[in-house]
Amino acid sequence: MGLAEWATTLVNAMTWAMATFLVAAGLTLIFGILHILNFSHGGFFMIGAYVAFTLLTRLGGANSFSAYLLAACAAAVVVALLGALVDRVILQRLRRVEDAYVLIATYALLLVCEGGTKLIWGLGYQSLQPPSPFEGAVVVGNFAVPAFSLFVIGAGLAVFAGLEWLLGRTAAGRLIRAVAMDPWTARLLGVNVTRVFAMTVVAGFALAGLAGGLLLANQSLSPELASVFIIQAFGVIIVGGMGSVRGAFLGAMLLGLIESVGSYILPDLPGLLFFAALAVILLWRPQGLLGRERGT
Amino acid sequence: MTHITRRDFLISGAALAAAGALPTAWAQQRGPLRIGLITPLSGPQEFIGSYVKNGAEIAVDQINKAGGVLGRQLALVTRDDKANPAAGVAAARELLTDGVNLHIGVISSTVTLALGPVMQQDNGVLLTTGAGTEKMNHENYTPNVFRIGDSPDARARGQARLMAQRYPNVTRWTGLIPDHEYGRTTWAIFVDGLLEFYPALAGKKPEVLDPVLMPYGVSDFRNSITLAMRQSADGCFNSTYGGDAITMFQQARGFGLVQRYKILVDAANEFLIARGMKSAVPPMWTGMHYYPEANKGNPMSDRFIADYTAKTKDAEPMGWAAEAHSAIYALARAIEKGKSAESKAVIQNLKGLTWDTVTGPRTLRPEDNQAIKDTELVFIEPANTEKGYQVTQYVKVDGRSVIFPPSPGKAMTFRKP
Repeated sequence: MGLAEWATTLVNAMTWAMATFLVAAGLTLIFGILHILNFSHGGFFMIGAYVAFTLLTRLGGANSFSAYLLAACAAAVVVALLGALVDRVILQRLRRVEDAYVLIATYALLLVCEGGTKLIWGLGYQSLQPPSPFEGAVVVGNFAVPAFSLFVIGAGLAVFAGLEWLLGRTAAGRLIRAVAMDPWTARLLGVNVTRVFAMTVVAGFALAGLAGGLLLANQSLSPELASVFIIQAFGVIIVGGMGSVRGAFLGAMLLGLIESVGSYILPDLPGLLFFAALAVILLWRPQGLLGRERGT
Repeated sequence: MTHITRRDFLISGAALAAAGALPTAWAQQRGPLRIGLITPLSGPQEFIGSYVKNGAEIAVDQINKAGGVLGRQLALVTRDDKANPAAGVAAARELLTDGVNLHIGVISSTVTLALGPVMQQDNGVLLTTGAGTEKMNHENYTPNVFRIGDSPDARARGQARLMAQRYPNVTRWTGLIPDHEYGRTTWAIFVDGLLEFYPALAGKKPEVLDPVLMPYGVSDFRNSITLAMRQSADGCFNSTYGGDAITMFQQARGFGLVQRYKILVDAANEFLIARGMKSAVPPMWTGMHYYPEANKGNPMSDRFIADYTAKTKDAEPMGWAAEAHSAIYALARAIEKGKSAESKAVIQNLKGLTWDTVTGPRTLRPEDNQAIKDTELVFIEPANTEKGYQVTQYVKVDGRSVIFPPSPGKAMTFRKP
């Protein structure tokens, strides 16, 4: 493998990793604080993508980078509002029941998301091309990388940096971490735990919506989208350690690299190395790479 | 106390069972003639299933308005197979138990293969309206299952034949092939066609590269696209499908992959990619079950389009609608021919049947239940139109010139490079 091929493999790995991290970030945040495995996360990611698609097509396409970013932010806001509703109507009622009920309820919510999407946007396939600055390729010597891959990598890094800052350097972040570690003591100290939970759900859903908007030009849009990312998103949060944002980031990069190198070494067996690595990592560290860092 | 002997018990049981079955059988013979429509109404193939449902409903309406079949109205009994063999088998068994013996609509290869033994065991008949598996006419052949559309060998060899005729200088070929049975089989048939038709029609031996295997149902194809970029091919055959195909071509734009090929041939996406990508669609030949423009002037096609447009506001239905329409008409003609809706008679009269369809007359080959039908191919390009694309060329390849001879019970064998 030459230098250009290594570089392409690395960029592909990082693109996969950051796209998956964008989807997984909200999932792992909610699990870290509320210990809820939200099966409907993929459904709200999909709704975010459709909201951004609708806004951009009404504006005549995604030619402008700023319009693309604004549409992604609008998708985050819409899905965050849906998150507030979901928390009020469903998740608050599930805080004191067994995990199995939560799984069933969030799976049912996923079906509602899919059904609603079919009713509003129809069954057909759609797609949107990247904004004009991210069409085409960036060429350096004999190494060419799709410009949109660089956008996805940048977006993933920015969201990771933003979450690190929010959880580690702000009062709200410290409060969230305190509630994640010991909600009972936090309540004794006067923290409105229900409100912190609600804020976390809203933030997790906003991340799902933002991911939908940012990744809109990455793949086709259809009611199947809800399930396209979710297996790999669960994969990275399991490998990274359930509930750890840093773990999800690390897990995404590790699995992305394995996926890319695997497809180069074993082109006739796509995906094999990915699942083999997943199994080996879980046998080695069942709690995940950063499994003890709950809520960070 | 009255003792019930085992004989009394068996007699009573048999009488009860007969009494239960009577109303169903009577209703099936006297009421509307019920036809099972088994197709995906949920899950990943729901979109295609919606075309099947619309096409079948239009055919039933048309036949009923014309007086029905043998004086009886047709009625569809619709069930969701979810494109899943277990769900398909459950749906078929429910319908068969309820006395519905004639079925159409299955589009998934795995569901079709799963239903073959069920139909044979329970004396049902199934007309698939889009399943691509060649096995149903070969190693998994059952006399109870028919394909009224073009076979995978006719489709992919028809495409190879067209390439040899139109692009004799494009001799270095590769494939973008999904890593599953359908993908690998389609590629094997296309290669077989290249190896037959290039020497015969272009006087050249084609060079066939190893295809690039694509993962299925994923969000990222960049690693596979990178592998394809390392090849040096003039022509490319794609059999990735639906949302996967759109995602793959969307991500391939950033690499400039499609621009490396002189010609791109797509196995079976019809307008799925074009409608999804609009003006970003890569120029390509694609296979269709039915292209309305190619059948203009055929009264059945013209009426079908008028009725389809009235029902759905879509004037360009995709081919699965036409296949379901043709399947209902095939059943109607077979029932009329044999004056019976019993499975045995219908099977007998479907074999060798020639009937009018929206693509012209088709004939069901009696040896393996495969229709002989022209392969319809269109060339799609981006365009500055409302749809964002347009069809700039279309051809019909004579199905008889490309289909393999029947060999029920035996696996197909292919030329290899």
